[in-house]
This record gives sequence, structure tokens and C-alpha cells, in this order.
Amino acid sequence: MNDWIKPYLKQHKGQILLSILFGVLGIGSGAMLLFVSGYLISKSSLRPENIMIVYIPIVSVRAFSIGQAVFNYVEKLVSHDLVLRILENMRTKLYEVVEPQALLLRSRYQTGDLLGVLADDIEHLQDFYLRTIFPSILGMAIYTIFIIVLGLFDWIFAIMMALMLGVILFLVPIISLFITRRDYVALKKRRHTLYRQLTDAVFGRMDWQASGRTSEVIKNFAAENERLIHFERKIRQRKHLRNGTLHFIVGVIVIAMMVWADFKTGQGTISPTVIAAFVLMTFSITDALLPVADAVEEVPSYTDSIERIQQIDEQPITQKQKKPVQAERHPYKQATLKLHQVSYRYRDRHDKTIENFSLHIPAGEKIAILGKSGTGKSTLLKLMSGVIEPDEGEIIVNGTTMHSQYLSEAVSVLNQKPHLFNTTIGKNIRIGKPKATDEELWRVAEQAQIASLIRTLPQGMDTPMEEMGQRFSGGERQRIAFARVLLQNTPIILMDEPTIGLDPATEQQLLTTFLSAAKEKTIIWVTHHLAGAKAMDQVIFMENGTITMQGNHDELYQSNKHYQRLYQMDQGTD
Amino acid sequence: MKRKKGLPSYPGSRLLHVVLSILIVLESIAIIAQATFLARAITLLFERTPISNVFTEITFFFISFVIRYSLQHLQTYIAENYAEKTTSRLRNSLVKAYFLSRNRFVQSAGTGRLVTLAMEGIDDLKKYLEIISIRMLRTGIVPLAIVIYVYTHDSISAIIMIVTVPIVIIFMILLGYAAEKMADKQYDRYQVLSNHFIDSLKGLETLKYLGRSAAHAKSIRRVSKQYRQATMRTLRVAFLSSFALQFFTSLSIAFVAVSLGLRLIDGTISLLPALTILILVPEYFSPIQEVGSDYHATLDGQVAAKEIDAMIKQEAKRQKPTSHEVTWTPSSILQLKGIDVESEKATLLKDISFTWKGSGMIGIVGESGAGKSTLIHVLTGLIDPKGGSIHIDGKNRKTLKSEQWFQNIAYIPQHPYIFPASLADNIRFYVPDASDEEVKRVIKEIDLDVFVQQLPNGIHEKIGEGGRTLSGGQEQRVAMARVLLSKKPIIILDEPTAHLDIETEYEVKQVMMRVFQQKLVLFATHRLHWMKSMDHLLVLDNGRIVEQGTHQELLSKKGTYDEMHKKGGYGNE
Repeated sequence: MNDWIKPYLKQHKGQILLSILFGVLGIGSGAMLLFVSGYLISKSSLRPENIMIVYIPIVSVRAFSIGQAVFNYVEKLVSHDLVLRILENMRTKLYEVVEPQALLLRSRYQTGDLLGVLADDIEHLQDFYLRTIFPSILGMAIYTIFIIVLGLFDWIFAIMMALMLGVILFLVPIISLFITRRDYVALKKRRHTLYRQLTDAVFGRMDWQASGRTSEVIKNFAAENERLIHFERKIRQRKHLRNGTLHFIVGVIVIAMMVWADFKTGQGTISPTVIAAFVLMTFSITDALLPVADAVEEVPSYTDSIERIQQIDEQPITQKQKKPVQAERHPYKQATLKLHQVSYRYRDRHDKTIENFSLHIPAGEKIAILGKSGTGKSTLLKLMSGVIEPDEGEIIVNGTTMHSQYLSEAVSVLNQKPHLFNTTIGKNIRIGKPKATDEELWRVAEQAQIASLIRTLPQGMDTPMEEMGQRFSGGERQRIAFARVLLQNTPIILMDEPTIGLDPATEQQLLTTFLSAAKEKTIIWVTHHLAGAKAMDQVIFMENGTITMQGNHDELYQSNKHYQRLYQMDQGTD
Repeated sequence: MKRKKGLPSYPGSRLLHVVLSILIVLESIAIIAQATFLARAITLLFERTPISNVFTEITFFFISFVIRYSLQHLQTYIAENYAEKTTSRLRNSLVKAYFLSRNRFVQSAGTGRLVTLAMEGIDDLKKYLEIISIRMLRTGIVPLAIVIYVYTHDSISAIIMIVTVPIVIIFMILLGYAAEKMADKQYDRYQVLSNHFIDSLKGLETLKYLGRSAAHAKSIRRVSKQYRQATMRTLRVAFLSSFALQFFTSLSIAFVAVSLGLRLIDGTISLLPALTILILVPEYFSPIQEVGSDYHATLDGQVAAKEIDAMIKQEAKRQKPTSHEVTWTPSSILQLKGIDVESEKATLLKDISFTWKGSGMIGIVGESGAGKSTLIHVLTGLIDPKGGSIHIDGKNRKTLKSEQWFQNIAYIPQHPYIFPASLADNIRFYVPDASDEEVKRVIKEIDLDVFVQQLPNGIHEKIGEGGRTLSGGQEQRVAMARVLLSKKPIIILDEPTAHLDIETEYEVKQVMMRVFQQKLVLFATHRLHWMKSMDHLLVLDNGRIVEQGTHQELLSKKGTYDEMHKKGGYGNE
């Protein structure tokens, strides 16, 4: 947890001190308000001749009452501002850690939405600062100051007090943290089981119903729910026990304070007028220390978030890329792509995903790549985009070794679910080339055949994407993404099943758009069925990382039985 | 955002409130006793009474102190138990509602939403129920009891305390209003800023492919900064209301203290009552100060309560499922008459009428949004039609949502649900008592035996979450195996092969065609090759059946079907 908490505490030392200072002043004012009030009343009851004797207490009572509110307000603002600053840094850091390995994360962690989870984790850590770290530090500061002040009067009593308050501030929270940590793990397991059962019940509902076992699943769920609740009850009872103990100790501390004040008065060290003052103040000090136990108990709920972020951080970037040859950086009009005996194996796998793969793609060719799931189609695209480098063999674009640096210069990618950002349509298209002029923008929109739709919108290019989320169909979203790719104007476009899930009419229209807009360009298109195969220069079938069938549609249809059958099925002519 | 305000009312809440009120009254007495004994002890010590003579006061102080906190814990404990019972019941009802309700609202809420509601929503409600009753009752009872007691000793202090409350309330309302207005004003912008980071991370892959990811780091920092500034602007106002609360209450304490001090000097009041009052004033304000805290817990709880109530209320209204025996035989007749389905916004199905006898393959086709899925949902009994009737063998049964109908059908969506269990248990899901031999037999029939041979544990290999992941084609085969083993006479499918690659689709189709023999198959799809295999096609457009017949008949009609067909790029040869 060191990398994600400590450096920020260090970096923002000044502001943390400031926030603690205001926190101490706020609590101190509250304590002093009661202290001075108690003194004021005791002193007044002696009926001094001159009211001026209690003038200072009268003024300071008001000052402290105002001070308490003001300091607390300032403290809240300072600490929130501080946390938001830390958040700012954590976000930037997380982004910088994740960015270089962005395309490898998905294959490394199976979890689809890992990045969303990480973003939530960072958000969650805000509370860790606000609700656990700061209150604990503040509690410690109050404790220290109070003990020092007492020590000025009587150091033996100060030590006694330090021990008693220490029980509230250290002993009980630490013991309860130790116990609840285990409970927390067990509770999480229970919750997960219930969650699992619920998911099974809900997502497999039709199957439960079809099997006539609905009452069974409902009963099982209720039983598991009962188990979870039973456990939660146990945790709660422990919490009551803890807080009860804390309150009991507070009562003892108050009495100890009373006895001590009386003893000191008897000695003549302090005046009887401050007995009330000391006793009343004790209440507000203990009030400030009590929340620490709750704050500390929350620690286990943050460990998951911290661990997850940490894990990403620790993962070395497996793909150390060689520096590209700088000289070749000029805008490409045309590009040939050559794969020469390329092999690639994922580090956690035994067999090669791509094996001895060779392919020559002349400039302007249109190629369709098909294959069953897991045969290496996506890996091949990653290799061709330079995101990963082959273990053996090489990929040559216009005579130079392929490198991710050529992304957006030589190669652009239209993936299965291109992300459309929560900004305007225009900005979404422009992301690929921020300096593009309005004419360029409309030209690519025109080519992607989305311009007429955008024109019908009242705000045109400035229409926010989010509002449109509902209104834009899958095909229209792909067109916007395609316009973005066109704006980059690269000679090679890689497509990773951009039409999956669309109905045949939409698919056909998109295909027509793709092909007519990218007449001059090379298109390498990973697809799952044969719609549009006829328009392609080459159709390639893959299995186990190698090519099993290759050729243009007519050749294959004439010579290959398997292809014939597939095509006939696809076209419904079987 | 809709939420449920006021004291929550669930079964048993009245009793809870009575019990809590009694306990809170007792607690108030303990608070006053604690203050009085403490004040007496201090006063006696102040008067230099030997501490051994003050022992009684100190003991009584401690006893009332302990009683006070015991009562407080008891209240919390009771409220927590109540919350636990209530939410546990609600959680079970929610799941039941999801299975049994025939209302579109529950069905359309979406499975993900339901899971969240039953887990997090219930937790939110629980937290809310644990605090809300105690908090509201305490605010009503404790200050009142204290101020009455103070009044009997010193009316001036009581008046100061009473007057403070409306001032505090007025300021809090004003400031709360200002903060809300300010927050509303920049809500949209605020949303964009706060979601920017998540949006960026989700789109990171896209950014990377566009070659913009490195440059984007700057924009993360910039937007985070803007977010902080915008948040702080709002917080400065939002915190003002808690500032006002604290400001006026502590000022009130100061006023009471000063006024007591001055009257002590005058001699119009003595030390004991003065000290008692001084100790009680913070106790008077403390329940009021608590009201405003945990604002989010309250809000979340109220929102969840509203939503849960809505779902469960729907369930309460549901009719008893029809309990006619339904057994589909090869000579049974299914008849839909004028089926209508509506959502809040639009008509989804209008006047669907269709009759079919015995087994056969019925295709349901149409463009996206034509109503295919809705019709499938009606046929599976997931949703009730608003109008029209469904007859099976001549018997009118308004709805298909009945255990008997479910026994007859198997529903196969694009991704059949794979339970986290063994392959065998997944396959015999509909007939749990089927033997391993029977399971092996169907595995062979659906050509999954080669795959099973590779598995270390054979048919007992764990699949689904936490186990081996199946490919799309394998998922479909498992679904087919379930059907084969259970011998269900009706299969309803929703686009089961569109996402498969063509080779897998080809293989799966061969298996499916074998399984479909002698069954009634209702099949929604875009894929043309399926349509040719169908005995009858229903062409949907805008929620209506616009054409029906066989593939060839429809093509020769040169109508909607033919046009759809051409748009899909087919039939050019």
C-alpha cells in the first residue's frame, strides 16, 4: 500500500498539517468552550464584586463558540481540497501506469471491465483519506496535546490519562481491527456466495423455470441469505460490545478527572473554580477520540482497492519495444504489408498462438480473415498493428519493421466495440487528429455516410454523444467510429469484426460504406461470416495460428468443397 | 430521483416506534439524571466537601451514565434487528417477484439491475432503516424532555435554547437551498468532469489505437483539476449549512453560559441548577446536529426503498397462475389471437394472430426493433400480453406464464446461461436425476465428445464462472444437450448463431437440425439460411405480422420479406 498512500501523504505534508491544525483548533475551541463555561459559572457563583473579573471568560466563551464553527468549516474545506488534489495525482499516475500496457491488460486479466473497476477504486480511496487517515491523525494530535497540557499540571496523572485514553485511541481500535479483519474476509466470502446464487437465479431464470425448480432456487437463496444475516448479526454484536466498552471507559475517565481535580484542589495546586472546567472539557476530548475506532475498522474495506491498483502497478510491462528507426517518419500514401514466418506465443500459454505465418499484402488490397474463436485472429491483428512484436519472423511495412509508433500514421484500427467518448460527435471524430479542419471533419463524415444524419440534429457536430447514446443505433455508432479512423488517413485499416451483432441489412450497408470510402486503402478485415466475401481480394481461413484456406472468393468457390458449403449456408442456398 | 420520505412503514414498524419512543423517553430521563448527579458532585467538590461524602453522587452519576448508554445500545440493537428482519424479507420477496411476477416492469428492469437492487439496494435500505427511526424520534423526544426540565429550573435558559432551533432551521433551509441551486446549475458539467476519468480508461484501447493515448495524460490532469475546482466551489456553499448549525448551537451554549454567569453574580440562581443546565445544553442540541449527518446514506436508502417497493407491489397484484394442465403433443394446437404488448413509450406488438398445429419450425424474422424479441418473450411466458388471448388445444389461457407451460419449453438465447457447476450437471439441469450414461449419450449426439475427451475430469469438469470457459459454439451445444436429455417438446430460440463464426455456425446447425426433429421450434433470427429451413415464417414490422408463409412464398410476394432480403445483400445470384 506504500506506493499509493505514503507518497501522497509526503507530497502534501504542508496541507495535511494545515488541515490537522484547523481540526485541532476546531476541537480545541469546542473543549475550551466547555472549559471556560464551567470556569465562568463556578467563578460567578462566588459572586465577585466586580463583573470585570469574569469579563475575559465571557468574551472568550463567545470567541470559542464562534471559533469552533469557523475552524471546523475551514478544516473541512482544506481536507476536501487536499483529497481532491491527491485524487488528481492518483488519476494521472494510474493513467500513466496503465497506458503503456492498455492493449495487453485485456488478455492478461480476463476481466472485461478491469479499467472501470480501477477507476472506482481510486474514487474509493478518497474516503480512505477523509474517513480513516485524517480522523486518525487528528485523534492522535488531540491526544498528544491534551496529555502534554495535563503534564504541565501533574505528570503522573498525565501518564495515567495517557494510558486510559490510549485504550480508547489505540488498544480497542487495534484489537477490533485484528478481530474484524478476519470477520471481514469471511463476510466477503458469504456475500460472494449469495451474490453467486442470485446471479445464477436471475441469469439462469428461464432454465430454472423450464426445469420446474423455481421453488428450490428461491428456497436456497433464502437459506443463504439467512446465513449471511446471521453472520452480519455476529459482527454487529461485536461492534456493540466494543462501543459499550468505550463508553464505559469514558465514564471511568470522567470520574478519574473529577477525583484528580479534587485532589489537586486539596493540594492547593489548582483553584476549585476549574473542577467543573476540567470535568466538562473531558467530555469533548473523549468525544473527539471515540470515532477513531470506527475509522480504523474501515481499513479492511479499502485493502481490496489498494491491492488491485498495486497489482497493476507491479506488473512489469512485458512488451519492451525496441526503438523504431526514426528516419522513416513521413506520411504514407500507400503501404505494403509483409508478414514473414511470424510466430507469437503468449507468456502464460504453452503453444504458439501464431505459428510460422507468412502473408504478403500489396497496397490497396482487401483481405477477409476468418476462423473459429481462439485461432489467433485478434492476435494477428495486434501483431499487424505493432501493438505486440513477433517472437520470431518479422512484419515489414513499406520496407520498415512494424512498430506501434506507426499506429495512426501507417495503420489505423476499427475494433469491435470502439469507445465513443462522452463528448460531442465532432470531438469524437476529431480525437484521431485534433488539428483537423471543419472541412476535413465533414468530408470524413460524408465518406462514412453519417453526415446527413448529423445535419438533421439541431446541434449538428456539437451534439453531445451521451444524449445520443440511446438514439444512435449500433450501425450509426460504427459509422462515427469509422469517420474517426478515416480522418487519420492511414493507408492500412485493420478491422476487428466491426459488424458483429448488426442485422444483415445494416451490415451490408456498412460494408458498402467501408469499401467505397477506402478504395485506395488496404483493408484487413477479421470477420465471422461470409457477407461481403465476394468483394474481397483475398479470403483467408485460419486455424491454430496458421492459414488453412486462402484465395479469392471465385477461386475458393470453384476449388474448395468446404468453402462452397460454408458459402452456400451463409447465402442460404444450401 | 424518486425517493420515499418520512418515517418508514413496513410490517412491525408501529411496534418498533412505540418501543423506541419508550426507550428514548427513559434515555432522556437518564441523560437528565446523569447531568444532575454530575452537577451535584462537582458543586459539592467545589464547596470543598470531602470526596468521601460525594461518593453517592459519583456512583449515581456513573449508574445513570451506564444506563443511558445501555439504553442507547438497546435502541440501536432493536432497530438493527428490525432492519435486518425487514430487509431479509424484502430481499427474498424481490427474488420471488422476479420469478413469479407477470409484470413488464419487473421484467424490463433488466437482470443486472435486479441483482444490484437485491444486493446493494437492500444494503442501502438496511443502513437507512437502522438509523432513521431512532434519529427522528430522538430529535422529537430528547430535546423536548431536556428543555422542559431546564424550564422548571430556569426559564431564561430554556427560552434561549428554544429560540435557537427555528433560527438554525431557517438558516439551514436557506443555505441548503442555495447549495442545491448551485449544484443543479453546474450538474451537467459536473457529471462530465467527474466521469471523464472513467470514460478515458474505458476508451483507453480506442485511444491507443488512435495513437492518442500518451497525449491524453495531459487532459486527465487538466480535467481532474477542473473537477476539483468545480467541486470546491460547490462544497464551499454546501458546508455552510453544517457551519450554520454548529455556529448557532455553540453560540447558544455560550449565551446560556454567559446569562447563567451573570445571574449567578446577581445571586438570582445558584451554582447547582446553573451547572446542571450547562451540562444539559450540549445534550439538547446533539440529536439536532445528528439529523443532518449521513445525508447520503439517507438519500440512497430512500431511493432504494422506493424502487424495491415498486417491484414488490407489482408482485402483490399478480393473479394466481393458471393451473390448467398443459401437455404439448404432436397434435396440439397453439393459437395466438390479437396479442398486444405495450411499454410506457410505445406499442411493441399489435394484433398478433397466428395458429400452428403440432411440431414444425416457425421462423420469426424482421429488422432490429420490429418486435421479434418481444414476441419470443410472450411465447416463453416472460411477459403477459396486454390484450388478446393465447389458446392451447382450444383452451383460453391469457398468459403462458405457468409452471405447466415452462415444463414444456426450452428457451435458448444467444448466450445460454452456463451454471458454475460440472458439465454433466449443466447438461442434466432440467432433469437432475439423469444418469451419467444418459449424459454421455447426449454428449455424443451433439458432437461434444471430442471436446469432453480433452477435459481432465471428463464430464465432471467444472465449467462456467470459476471453471473452464466455453466458446460460443460449445455453449449452444450444451443448451442442445439439455433439450435432448429433457425431451422437451417445444424449443424457443432467440438468434442463437448470429455471433458464431461461419465454420462453428455450420457445425452447430447440423446438430440443431437433428435436435429439432419432431419438435415445435420457434426461432427468431436474421440469418437467411435458417429461414430456408423453416416450415413457416412470421415477418414482423413495427410490431405487426406483415407477411407469413414459407421462404419461397414470401419471396414471390415481392413484399417486405423480399426487400429485407435484398438489403441484406442476398439473392443477387
